[in-house]
Amino acid sequence: MPGLSAAELSFLEGGIAQDLRNDGRGREDFRSFSIQLDVISQASGSARVRLGATDILASIKAELGSPPAEFPHLGRLELAVEISPTAGPEFEGRGGEELSAELGKALERSFAGGANGTGAAVDLAALSVVEGKTCWVLYADVLVLNADGNILDASAIGIKAALSNTRIPKVEVLAGEGDEEGELELNDDPDECARVSTAAVPLIVTLTKVGRHYIADATGDEEAQMSSALSVAVNEKGQLCGVTKRGSAGIDPSVISDMLSVARRIGKRLLAKVDAEISLAESRLESET
Amino acid sequence: MEYVSPEGLRLDGRRPKEVRQLKCELAVLHRADGSAYLEMGNTKVLATVYGPHEVSQRSQSLHDRALVHCEYSMATFSTGERRRRPKGDRRSVELSLVIRQSMEAAILTHLLPRTQIDIYVQVLQADGGTRAACINAATLALADAGVPMRDLVASCAAGYLNGTPLLDLNYVEDSAGGPDLTVALLPKAEKVTLLQMDSKLPLDTFEAVLGLAMDGCKAIAAHMRQALLEHTRKQAVVRGPVRL
Amino acid sequence: MLQPEGPAPSLDEAAAKLAEAQAILQSSTASLPLVCLGDAIDLGADAEGGVMKGHGTMMAGEAQLQATVCGLVERVNKLVSVRALKGRYTAQVGDVVVGRVTEVAQKRWKMDVNGKQDAALLLASVNLPGGVQRRRTNVDELNMRELYQENDLISAEVQQINQGDGAVALHTRSAKYGKLQGGQLVTVAPYLIKRLKQHFVALAAPLDVGIILGCNGYVWIGSKDLVDAGGRDEDEGMEAAGPSGQVDLQLRERMCRVANAVRALAALGLPVHPPAIVEVCNLSGLLRVEIKDMLGPEFLAQVAYREADRRQAEGDAQPMDH
Repeated sequence: MPGLSAAELSFLEGGIAQDLRNDGRGREDFRSFSIQLDVISQASGSARVRLGATDILASIKAELGSPPAEFPHLGRLELAVEISPTAGPEFEGRGGEELSAELGKALERSFAGGANGTGAAVDLAALSVVEGKTCWVLYADVLVLNADGNILDASAIGIKAALSNTRIPKVEVLAGEGDEEGELELNDDPDECARVSTAAVPLIVTLTKVGRHYIADATGDEEAQMSSALSVAVNEKGQLCGVTKRGSAGIDPSVISDMLSVARRIGKRLLAKVDAEISLAESRLESET
Repeated sequence: MEYVSPEGLRLDGRRPKEVRQLKCELAVLHRADGSAYLEMGNTKVLATVYGPHEVSQRSQSLHDRALVHCEYSMATFSTGERRRRPKGDRRSVELSLVIRQSMEAAILTHLLPRTQIDIYVQVLQADGGTRAACINAATLALADAGVPMRDLVASCAAGYLNGTPLLDLNYVEDSAGGPDLTVALLPKAEKVTLLQMDSKLPLDTFEAVLGLAMDGCKAIAAHMRQALLEHTRKQAVVRGPVRL
Repeated sequence: MLQPEGPAPSLDEAAAKLAEAQAILQSSTASLPLVCLGDAIDLGADAEGGVMKGHGTMMAGEAQLQATVCGLVERVNKLVSVRALKGRYTAQVGDVVVGRVTEVAQKRWKMDVNGKQDAALLLASVNLPGGVQRRRTNVDELNMRELYQENDLISAEVQQINQGDGAVALHTRSAKYGKLQGGQLVTVAPYLIKRLKQHFVALAAPLDVGIILGCNGYVWIGSKDLVDAGGRDEDEGMEAAGPSGQVDLQLRERMCRVANAVRALAALGLPVHPPAIVEVCNLSGLLRVEIKDMLGPEFLAQVAYREADRRQAEGDAQPMDH
């Protein structure tokens, strides 16, 4: 993306200071977004989120694997972000690698919870199949098709929506003979599948500092001007699930607690909107089948 | 394993000479100059075109024609088993080359000297015939971008199982170990721009399978043409009359 | 068609309304001279007299003309060409464009004008500060960045087009052209900008905003000053007048509304020209739509319905020259 001229930047910053951004939004307003469910039929669950021009696909694939060595009674949630070259020539080859890694880490921080699984976005214990031996691994992959700012927040929305759409096959452990281990029988009949509870899945609100103010849901142009940003994951209970500071400039500590409470407030509104959009997407899906 | 039933039906209910259901959508991503989304059965592919634009690396600029650049990517969730694909692995590099060469055969590059055309193809779901789907999607995206071409490039794969030539193999049929022939065709000129086959096939059967693949290409070209005409019509109607 | 007072519809209903409105706009029984890439072009009566092949066509065998892009067939005397709708900007001499400096090179600036290649703005083609006509010196060459720097937005005119490779040369040899400040840029597809008599437009009150409709699809929204003819001091030279830095909130609101009107028209694929922009702004005022909601499906649907009504009122009887 080309840079903006000094005049455009000054106009942009002026608008943010006056609480009237270039597209008419206030500093705390999110762009309108849409959610589509079940877009990748081969995945266990999937969603497409369009937030302004930012366009992402989130896919959840449930596969059997081994539980973490230190916590054999848990399942696993693995998160990754990839930026498709379709988003622009700057992302071809290895162009998007650094950004993808940064975003992937930020998602992990917000969704994976502590090492022992507490505070994770999904109930990891429920993913266990045979303690110490087999568990469900949920691979959550985000593919960015078009980037116009705020990919992280859009990804969180996408993962929450995709998880709500996820169906995990039922596993039966057959009795083994004598000392032999039992075999696993998979039943992927849609009616027999387990659903994933998304009540604890947080959303992320990224506040981007431009000049002396910070804004929510920055566009690509606004993001390019950021000095620093704070990404805050907020869940239904209003708890903070992960905080990531991005950007090279420092943030005054006195500003941080203010930013956190603003993020919580915006997060609460966003959660309600996202839940509503997911329900709508679900009913649309039902009426189609 | 029976891939064609005695009644002549394949595993997914198709007849041997039937192409899977095609779905095309144009101009799906607005930042790109041209884009297209294509479904061939369960294979889903997205293609975007940036350009023609100024060459990004001056040293690579060609004084008499356009520089065509192509990158193929496969999503980690696109195959049955989720797999982290390293960038630049052999298969991606080969496919990027194959797609670029197929499109270069059609683009009138001499009309666009000192420019660069970037084609990005992203596989979202792979269920056999990804190569062909990528070429078809790239054609649509280039047409959407208004890049001048000598013809559409239509691509289709065909195989031979249970003694029957089969058109447009899906993943299961593809993995059966029989021959897999992918063809890309310039339909008006009836010129083949891509021909790849693996496994082995007696010569007369080869000709039958090749003929079938070419028929598939023509059917796909007709479908793409309809989609492009309809899309152009809508754009023109919405834009309204321009008094010259 | 107008939105009655009441609770806002859900995003889903709004999206459905938008789809319906778009379908209405897209329906038409008019027969258009459409052609797909690869189609043979019907030469009709001209086949005898011989035709000249224009853009978007190529010879395919004996006396056969084939389209190389998807678009509309145009016949002007014996010249047959196919004009693609979407696509990069194709310059014509005299076009007003808005460009962004990509590089400061020897004696010239390279400019991104959304074309197939970057355009060139020669040092010899700009007005130097002081407005005096003189030979460019080495000092001028070294001071180029003081005039225009990388990423600066500039309004200019297409001076000439190289026949061989289509390279475009721009000039800013008029007081109204120059660096753009105190506003914002909206990018739309070039085919939505019609060539008009005036591309520097001052939108009348209550909008009171100036816009530059670049033929290349770059639309600048700023204050009215940049459009006022003769309101420019000789000494200002290249600097486009307009408040840089602080912008009054009222003016900013009006500019945002106009910018979103342009975005709304572009999102629907409707032509972007002054009467349409004013119409959309008025509609948003009438429906009491906040500026930030002008890009939502609900308002876009209203814009589409309005346009469909307007076209119907104009009558299908009128011949459509595309």
